[in-house]
Amino acid sequence: MDSFKPKFFATSTKGENAELLVDLNSEYRDRRKDAVKRVIANMTVGKDVSSLFPQVVKNMQTEDLEMKKLVYLYLMNYAKSNPDLVILAVNTFVKDTDHVNPLIRALAIRTMGCIRVDKILDHLCEPLRKCLGDDNPYVRKTAAICVAKLWDLDQERAIENGFVTMLQDLISDSTPMVVANAVTALAEMQESSATKDVFVVNVAIMNKMLAALNECTEWGQIAILTSLAEYKPLDSKEAENICERVVPRLQHANGSVVLSAIRVIMMYMRYIKSEEFIKGLIKKMSPPLVTLLASAPEVQYVSLRNINLILQKRPDILQNDVRVFFCKYNDPPYVKREKLEIMIKLCNEKNIDQLLSELKEYASEVDVDFVRKAVHAIGRCAIMIDEASERCVNVLLDLINTKVNYVVQEAIIVIKDIFRKYPKRYEAIIPTLCQNLDSLDEPEAKGSLIWIIGEYAERIENADELIENFLETFLEENSQVQLQLLTATVKLFLKKPSQSQEIVHRVLQTATQEIDNPDTRDRAYVYWRLLSTDPQAAKAVVLSEKPPISAESSSNRISPGLMDELINNISTLASVYHKPPTAFMGNKAFSADAVRKAAVADARDEEQITGETMDSPSGGAPAAKNAMADLLDLDFGSSEPAYTSPPISSSKPVSNNGPNYSADLFDMSADMPSNTGVFGGMNNMGGMSGMGGMGGMGGMGGMGGMGGMGGMGGMGGMSNPPAQHPAPAADPFGNLGTFGAPPQQQKPATTQSSTVNDLLDLF
Amino acid sequence: MGSIFSRILGRLWGDKEVRILILGLDGAGKTTILYRLQVGEVVTTIPTIGFNVETVQYKNIKFQVWDLGGQTSIRPYWRCYYANTDAVIYVVDSVDRDRVSTAKEELMAMLEEDELKDASLLVFANKQDMAGAMTSAEVSDALGLSTLMNRQWSIYKTSAVKGEGLTEGLDWLINIMQK
Repeated sequence: MDSFKPKFFATSTKGENAELLVDLNSEYRDRRKDAVKRVIANMTVGKDVSSLFPQVVKNMQTEDLEMKKLVYLYLMNYAKSNPDLVILAVNTFVKDTDHVNPLIRALAIRTMGCIRVDKILDHLCEPLRKCLGDDNPYVRKTAAICVAKLWDLDQERAIENGFVTMLQDLISDSTPMVVANAVTALAEMQESSATKDVFVVNVAIMNKMLAALNECTEWGQIAILTSLAEYKPLDSKEAENICERVVPRLQHANGSVVLSAIRVIMMYMRYIKSEEFIKGLIKKMSPPLVTLLASAPEVQYVSLRNINLILQKRPDILQNDVRVFFCKYNDPPYVKREKLEIMIKLCNEKNIDQLLSELKEYASEVDVDFVRKAVHAIGRCAIMIDEASERCVNVLLDLINTKVNYVVQEAIIVIKDIFRKYPKRYEAIIPTLCQNLDSLDEPEAKGSLIWIIGEYAERIENADELIENFLETFLEENSQVQLQLLTATVKLFLKKPSQSQEIVHRVLQTATQEIDNPDTRDRAYVYWRLLSTDPQAAKAVVLSEKPPISAESSSNRISPGLMDELINNISTLASVYHKPPTAFMGNKAFSADAVRKAAVADARDEEQITGETMDSPSGGAPAAKNAMADLLDLDFGSSEPAYTSPPISSSKPVSNNGPNYSADLFDMSADMPSNTGVFGGMNNMGGMSGMGGMGGMGGMGGMGGMGGMGGMGGMGGMSNPPAQHPAPAADPFGNLGTFGAPPQQQKPATTQSSTVNDLLDLF
Repeated sequence: MGSIFSRILGRLWGDKEVRILILGLDGAGKTTILYRLQVGEVVTTIPTIGFNVETVQYKNIKFQVWDLGGQTSIRPYWRCYYANTDAVIYVVDSVDRDRVSTAKEELMAMLEEDELKDASLLVFANKQDMAGAMTSAEVSDALGLSTLMNRQWSIYKTSAVKGEGLTEGLDWLINIMQK
């Protein structure tokens, strides 16, 4: 009976690996092969079979190619976990690199290169040397990549054994594929090379690469084109020649090849003097770019981001192709958004009508975000093209008449920009705007309309009522709106003092006493002092001429230096992000340095030592500096006009009626740059996330477009003018005296610096 | 059906391989012996880092012959190859009198292994073509072969370069295994 008892425990005690171990040592070939297959199967599902290493390696020497490949696969996976045992495989590798079959030779050298274990390096060099000089191009091209792998582990060994030289010689190889792989390997090695002399593209190398370019695979072409971009042509003629040889690559089916070719051409164009030739190149670049837009949405997006860059550099490209960028109903949102951007860039007098009707179509779609962008785009077209502005405004009016809430709000926001660009031209539409007062619920739209009311207070009969209307909810409003209301009220008062004295008094009192937000409160103080000290000056400051605005909001503008760098990086992530590679890449050697820098910046931030970020002790970090320069550029982009805004004649006699204030104000304006300096520091640290914060800043800058006039502009202006005005004469403002000084005599300096601090907290 | 049948037959006679290990210190001539047995020629060899394995057909018997590297760094891994081994060929460099004691230590350590308790031992006193080579009796004494218990063993003087003594050794092995 015993023999019939089921054996529940007997089989499972040793586990599967033990069974495999027995099978791997079997005297039977087919059983061993079966076992190896099972080992690989287990490996791929994540079971640990590393303990079988010596047994698997035993099966490595076989004529059975299938088995050999499986064992090689196993080796690549588990060599790291059994570094000592790897030497057992060496002899087989060495033999395989002598095999008659070139596929096995290449397989062996490739696998050997993939085994990232120091112990194998001693034995890698001989086979590698053999394979680099192999008769078969397939083996040579595989060996070329292997040199880069060796380089990564041990640069000195690669140099001492002459592999670098051999690799450089492979550039002259007769087979294009070998050339391409040698170029790929060398370019990779150059990046991590300390002396940067591994791969310097000179005329000879460049010619060889060009010769191989047309023949090799797409990835080889990309590698060659990327390396071509490193070359600096000697003169215009040479650049032309190279471009001519690269141009056929534009026809390639692979988008990456096309973009790489475009990158080379864009870079070489800088050296070409002949305008005719450049025109021809630009003409040739258009069709492939258009073709790229027929691919998958992701590829489209990448292409669009690159086209966006190219357009900024060469605005004359794609001039007649605006239709290609019209959005399809099923485009994903991110593609639509980029297409809109490009449509705006391509807009000119000829196509504006077509574009406007298209944009109007978009404004009736269901995707709210996209609709708003479309409405915004109409406004930007109006600002860009003077002649078309009226048509744009009409379209916007049509849209406002649809009474769709978000369309109306967005339209009002852009109309505010149009008013700034063309002051006093479209006042007639103000009543229409005012009809929609009640439907506004977003701060930006509200702020925009309030700005318009303040700006045109003298033309709007019931401006005071409108403002009054808004003021009912003053305390509940978003700070943006509060600031706008404050400024608009002051403007209203300056324009129609008789009607609004009571309002302005009430607003300033509320703002100074009941609002905790230092921005709003301090602006109220500034206005109050200004009005009570010198109404003339107030008028000059608040109602000063505004600098013109351009269609490109500053957050979209790319500085020429960055532009060049981005052009150099077309078809990489940098050109998709529109950020220099150093801003988002922590490459090996650099990252530790970056971390240290971040720590330094952090400590500095805490100590409130600001503004000196540039002189960072760790030096040599062009990346961070770059990013910061960018940021400064961006930041000042929005505040710059404000700083220079009030063109007040300084010829007026200097009187000394407000020394304190002006001194304080000087104080504050001195604080401002340091403020931005801190932002720079933050950006240093945060990389991408820092950029996010910047976006917020940009948004605020946009608001500053109008708020900036009253707020920043006011402040900036005040740093010199107030003291230069004579004491107020008896005029309509004489009754200002009733205001007296602001009730709380806080030291302005402290409040202001606290403003700066609060701002810091905010970001 | 047919394939199953042939497979069973194959299990019984055809595919089963007799597994032989060739061991010994580095430079004793193991790889040369292996290829002398396989292709019948002297091939130029490099130090074996790892192993060689070849199938040698001799008198209608298929031997799977494993030649393991003899360097100090590889010797610890010999044990990975002991499983299912039918015989061990231990190669000694008869000229290298200095390291004969090391050869003995390695041999004794190896024979202690449980997995090899049934394996026969064939010793080749190699390099007999060179001047000053020890005789097989000298080698046998130096290795202490006579002290071995429960072990089928034999020693032959060989010259891998000239191809002398190898077949005699194999004949002895076949003889032993067929018993």
